[in-house]
Amino acid sequence: MQETELHDLSDDADYAASQQQGSSSMMRTDSIKRSSSNEPDGAEIVYSKDNVAIHPTQFVSERISGRLKLIKQGSSLFMTWLPYKEQNSNAKQIEKDRNLYTIKAVPFTEVRSIRKHAPPLGWQYVIIVLSSGLAFPPFYFYNGGVRQFLATIKQHVFLVRSAEDASVFLVNDFENPLQRTFSSLELPRVVSVASGQSTPISVDESLLKENQERINGYESSSISQYNGRQRQKVHDPARDISIQVLEKFSLVTKFARETTSQLFRDGHSNGFGAFEKMFDSQPAQDDLHKASNDAERVTDEIAVASDPLEFDKLSLVWGKPRQPPLGSEEITYSDLLKRFGSAGKVNGNVILWATFLDNEGRVMDSEALRKRIFYGGVEHELRREVWGLLLGYYAYDSTYAEREYLRTIKKSEYETIKHQWQSISPEQARRFTKFRERKGLIDKDVVRTDRAFTFYDGDDNPNVNLLRDTLLTYSFYNFDLGYCQGMSDLMSPILFVMEDESESFWCFVQLMERLGPNFNRDQSGMHSQLFALSKLVELLDSPLHNYFKQNDCLNYFFCFRWLLIQFKREFEYEETMRLWEVLWTHYLSEHLHLYVCVAVLKRYRRKIMREQMDFDTLLKFINELSGRINLDAILRDAEALCICAGENGAANIPPGTPPSLPIDSGLFYSQQEDEVL
Amino acid sequence: MSYAYLFKYIIIGDTGVGKSCLLLQFTDKRFQPVHDLTIGVEFGARMITIDNKPIKLQIWDTAGQESFRSITRSYYRGAAGALLVYDITRRETFNHLASWLEDARQHANANMTIMLIGNKCDLAHRRAVSTEEGEQFAKEHGLIFMEASAKTAQNVEEAFIKTAATIYKKIQDGVFDVSNESYGIKVGYGGIPGPSGGRDGASSQAGGCCS
Repeated sequence: MQETELHDLSDDADYAASQQQGSSSMMRTDSIKRSSSNEPDGAEIVYSKDNVAIHPTQFVSERISGRLKLIKQGSSLFMTWLPYKEQNSNAKQIEKDRNLYTIKAVPFTEVRSIRKHAPPLGWQYVIIVLSSGLAFPPFYFYNGGVRQFLATIKQHVFLVRSAEDASVFLVNDFENPLQRTFSSLELPRVVSVASGQSTPISVDESLLKENQERINGYESSSISQYNGRQRQKVHDPARDISIQVLEKFSLVTKFARETTSQLFRDGHSNGFGAFEKMFDSQPAQDDLHKASNDAERVTDEIAVASDPLEFDKLSLVWGKPRQPPLGSEEITYSDLLKRFGSAGKVNGNVILWATFLDNEGRVMDSEALRKRIFYGGVEHELRREVWGLLLGYYAYDSTYAEREYLRTIKKSEYETIKHQWQSISPEQARRFTKFRERKGLIDKDVVRTDRAFTFYDGDDNPNVNLLRDTLLTYSFYNFDLGYCQGMSDLMSPILFVMEDESESFWCFVQLMERLGPNFNRDQSGMHSQLFALSKLVELLDSPLHNYFKQNDCLNYFFCFRWLLIQFKREFEYEETMRLWEVLWTHYLSEHLHLYVCVAVLKRYRRKIMREQMDFDTLLKFINELSGRINLDAILRDAEALCICAGENGAANIPPGTPPSLPIDSGLFYSQQEDEVL
Repeated sequence: MSYAYLFKYIIIGDTGVGKSCLLLQFTDKRFQPVHDLTIGVEFGARMITIDNKPIKLQIWDTAGQESFRSITRSYYRGAAGALLVYDITRRETFNHLASWLEDARQHANANMTIMLIGNKCDLAHRRAVSTEEGEQFAKEHGLIFMEASAKTAQNVEEAFIKTAATIYKKIQDGVFDVSNESYGIKVGYGGIPGPSGGRDGASSQAGGCCS
């Protein structure tokens, strides 16, 4: 408490406002004492504000207004936000959103911090971050009242301004605020609250499926609307590309809310019973709960431990909606005039891409570029150049001319390496078993790689030969690593994108700098990733982890194919390319691919546990998910999980886990015993 | 579909010997020379009838490359039958049989039935391993043996069914405790464990072909 002085709010206008209310001099402890003695059971509304809205999407029509309240019950302060009932609500989507976003009662003991945003234009809004690290979407105060909101909270709970960021107010922060950062999420603590409940929150697959469909629908409509109304978007701070750290946490936490409602249902929790009754009369509640009850009636004999981070229902609000790929935005004639003076004949894709480059072709802000790609991928025609950058073949600060020069140099370098094997005569080959075997293996594999895909189909397809030549050349360039099955799957899309032998080769070389250990003969790269994956599941879904443990599935071999070739066999060709470029941005994490694994497993966690899948069944089930995974939904989940896990997640991934570079950079690959197969 | 028993099979052998093609020929009755190479494992299943009992074969088709051996080993667990495949036109695939067998012996249960298959017997003009050598190897190691062709379908059906018949016979003889699923056998609905007269209802005879 001695820190209170240091971080006093007396310099703050909000604090000043609270003074005017006459009760601000009351210390927090006093507040507790007084309220507990005066109103042991009753609940008192201490703050109520109308027209506080959330903006689930960028579209005005989809905003949801409601009433925000602070309610005091005994010594505890709770927050509720109930959306208004729409009269002419024909849009089912909005209706569902309303239910989804409704906040019944969150105790402030669960709140970590509140961030106040006061943009010079537009509405003030706050972002409320829970101690789990999750957060509610921004609340926009259409009629003002942020100051009063904070002042009221301060009257009832301990609230201090963060020493790190003046717009952040820490709730119940009794430690030295200087020692605390927002990245140190305390997930496990909150997780234990949920998993400790005797009656797990259960949601049936059908509900999840419905949600997934809804996400799909949402997505396509959002994209089409985006295309249709481009540039009409009002300035929306929460959607701003330069999003602040805290806003990354702006993930509605159904989990936290349900945890709360669990607490409320359990009457033994101190005095919550009366409080719940009060909310029972509120509209638009419990729909989710009701739905799950209905579904449960069908069949659900085996109790499945609830998901501590029940994001399945939340994907819509977790992470951000994907954008159309970079380069796909429509550009109007007036945009062109504005930007370049004349429209010329350049197409829009190139122009938008060009906005990331300076006059000489340098990427001005690689972070912004990577972020843009992370949220939407790249239009195909731009991939040639962008992949080269993402993979590190081109430096971000290289100019057009430098890249052109590099291509020339590298082309001749490639030819030199290629010539090494091309010059091997049949006589020499006869005495060169390793070469014969390696070539034989590659020859056999390139004719079994993506032959159903137009680029490689048909007899005597020259692209199949290019695939062979680049792989064989790589096995000479990196003779220690050689060739291993799976490499052709990784090379195939690169060759398709680059449409140039030498360029493909060098991009593949760069990719192998990251993923080479996947193909170590001792499988060390694979094992380290599988291990990291098991640690992440343990962190993000301990019930599922325990299930795997009990069923002897902790080796995670069922995820082997996912990791070996970066989900290449799980998605359509185009989707694979999109996934790869997202992974290659290393935007949120180098190891996003591991979070993608966790996201898929979590999406099916209930089915896995309910059906009591053993290793064999699980392996078969995972294999058969191929072609059935919704990429956008999974990427959103993965993003959310990655954010949730924060530094805890990163700490669970051992250094040197691919695609990170090996710790001992002196020895990239363990010496490969050549294979005779 | 209901079955009396479910047998788990695993197909092993060097890369490119035709494991996936054998599986496809057996399950879909077609030969598809252009297919993606196997990463990890693929699955196939088919119902057969032995001794008038419906038996479901669940077949695991594994990746053959040496690098993946450590992963492949985890698939042996609970397999009732294994098809160990080599390519009669590539001597080295025959030479590696001992190492595959060692893996199988080490990681599968001791009663697993192993069928040795010399595949691609339609390519007799390129033969590099004689039928006798195959027979000899099988005899030495206590395996059932057949030459087959995934391309022409010759002996494919027979190889899978003969293996199943052998497993079935072991059940009848009480070799397996079928209630223990680690033997790779599941008793399905209507499957009554125990001797039923000991008739061996295999639908075909084994034997070398393509001589």
